[in-house]
Amino acid sequence: PGSLVVLDWHRCADSKEHFSRIQRRNVRKRFGLLEAPVLRPLLAADTVSYKIFLSGKSGVGKTALAARLAGLPVPSMHHETTGVQTTVVFWPVKLRENGRVLFFRLQLWDCGENTLRRFDHLLPACTEQADAVLLLFSFTDRTSFDDLSSHLTRSSSPSASTVRLVVGTKFDLFMHTDVTERELREFQQAWGVPVFRVPGGAGAPGVAGLAEVAPLLDALAEHLWHRDVLAAQS
Amino acid sequence: MLQGGSVQLLCLTASSGVPLFCRGATRPLPFSIIGSLNGVHMFGGGQGTVLSSCVTDRGGRVLWRVFHDTVVLIAVSSQESGAVSELRLRRLLENSWNAMVLVLGLDELASARNVERLKRDLRSCYRLIDAFLEGEWDGMGDLMHCADCVVPLQPALLQEVLDSFAHAADSEFGCLLTHGKIIVATEKWWRLAPQEVVLLSALVRTLDGTISRDYPVFLPQGSPTVPHRLLCFQLLPGLDVCVLCGPSPSLQKAESELVVQFWSPVIDTLHGCLALRDRCLPSSVTLQHGILGLLLINRESRRAISTVHLWAGAPADVPLPARRRELLRALYTLAITRYFLAEDAQEEHRSVDGLEEDFPAGFSHQPVQFYLATDECKCFALQTPQHQLYLLTSVTVPTFALRSLATRTLSTLLSHTGF
Ligand SMILES: Nc1nc2c(ncn2[C@@H]2O[C@H](COP(=O)(O)OP(=O)(O)OP(=O)(O)O)[C@@H](O)[C@H]2O)c(=O)[nH]1
Ligand SMILES: [Mg+2]
Repeated sequence: PGSLVVLDWHRCADSKEHFSRIQRRNVRKRFGLLEAPVLRPLLAADTVSYKIFLSGKSGVGKTALAARLAGLPVPSMHHETTGVQTTVVFWPVKLRENGRVLFFRLQLWDCGENTLRRFDHLLPACTEQADAVLLLFSFTDRTSFDDLSSHLTRSSSPSASTVRLVVGTKFDLFMHTDVTERELREFQQAWGVPVFRVPGGAGAPGVAGLAEVAPLLDALAEHLWHRDVLAAQS
Repeated sequence: MLQGGSVQLLCLTASSGVPLFCRGATRPLPFSIIGSLNGVHMFGGGQGTVLSSCVTDRGGRVLWRVFHDTVVLIAVSSQESGAVSELRLRRLLENSWNAMVLVLGLDELASARNVERLKRDLRSCYRLIDAFLEGEWDGMGDLMHCADCVVPLQPALLQEVLDSFAHAADSEFGCLLTHGKIIVATEKWWRLAPQEVVLLSALVRTLDGTISRDYPVFLPQGSPTVPHRLLCFQLLPGLDVCVLCGPSPSLQKAESELVVQFWSPVIDTLHGCLALRDRCLPSSVTLQHGILGLLLINRESRRAISTVHLWAGAPADVPLPARRRELLRALYTLAITRYFLAEDAQEEHRSVDGLEEDFPAGFSHQPVQFYLATDECKCFALQTPQHQLYLLTSVTVPTFALRSLATRTLSTLLSHTGF
């Protein structure tokens, strides 16, 4: 992966029309389950849907990340999530090869870690047919980083073809960081799993702009598309 | 003691007085005061009395209540917010306890062996409890224990879709809501305890922003120890459908196989429901000018419509909607604690704390209508065996016309909405 989609396409002039379908005056539009972005017939783009599971310790920032990626206000307080909640992010992507535009419909599955333990049916609900797993750790919580390795060994589930990315949260609190750059590099090499930093940060409540979320969403789209291309070839 | 206008909720273990949480108010009360508040209640207990409420000379209030010998909840309203009624605080205590049971289940609360763990687990109730504390919500269900409803243009159509959707999801309990107000619900949903219906509406309202949910819930009355699954789907922003299920179907299955199939054919009707948010009544129901707000309660089915957005061209000197809402809540509170004390409410009070004096001291009869004229607005309330109607009008409506306005409004509402 690394060369299938145009990175930072939202900066290009030709993406204007598409991005105007997901946000208006810098505020992301919200869509219900019965809705999707509507384009002029000429520009019509296919929508591809994926299920993304956010995994990580309680308080690591799963709910905050989902809100950030969806352009919703990020809660400044930690309220433990009860049960499973899903958020949909529409993300227009241009393929390098042929200039074709696709709308990625990324449904983020977020489950409160503590309820996960109390109710057995929740974890299977999240991992069942998941296309990707985002493994979250927090820069301010060493154990959440150490746990990654065991998660990665364990999570050959849900299936071998599941895309896996690691996301580090609370990088803005780097003054208190428990994880060094070097450790991150070594980790990436050892596992061959890309590591991202949570967009924006600053723990700032408020709403993330496209530029903040684009690197992670583009990368996610890239890996998912790469997986689909491989699957189609075999 | 507290910042202006604020209400604070404290929760402590009943046996040892360990603080579990404290919500509301920007600055929490100092630990010593919390200790004293609990201490004075415990002291009463030791003397064989139950301290349930007290009022300061400047209108601050404190209410205590012990639930299941497990926790004591204390509601404190500041002196500056003298307008906070006892009814509101009492409901706050009940709703908060119900919220705790809803999220954690009675067993976990009652068997609180490990206080630190309970404290941590209780954090998942904060959002719901905060929703009851805020009071910015434009419904009244939290106060009345009647469900806030809106009346759609095509109730029969939506009812039919909801019934078949719930059936397909292996559930008899389904409900369609807009901004936390019920549009239609299945018959079984209405057989849940009124507090539960109110609680579930509030829960759905707090879930806004997510597109689907699989939320384990314990029903405080119906099933406090066995969890059900509340599956909740946001069809349009501000419009949700939810069902109470057993182990199946999975969230993914229900979402991918049922939601679009059942609901997209009626998407235009659903869009129409979004417009009911403020007015709660279809535009075909026209009411006389001068009505600033109304509350209609069906006493049997425990449903209510309340709105303060009826008079589109109201002059600038009438109270603003937020203030009208406050006035309507105050009117209801006055009625229910003074005049319309219904038999069931009386019993409820007695069984709840067994302490209330038989109020309508001085009345040997049950009033059926009353009016009030203030310099801000006029009010008229009436009750029939089936309904209660509360009207808030501008001061320009002549007092002698209030009664006929109210009776006419009631019959218009009933004939148009079948409420
Ligand atoms: N400074 C900073 N704070 C963050 C960041 N991400 C999350 N937080 C804060 O961390 C706290 C916990 O975040 P949540 O997203 O609620 O945690 P969670 O992983 O969903 O936790 P559970 O639902 O209990 O499993 C919140 O107060 C967030 O505001 C970040 O990137 N920077
Ligand atoms: Mg969470």
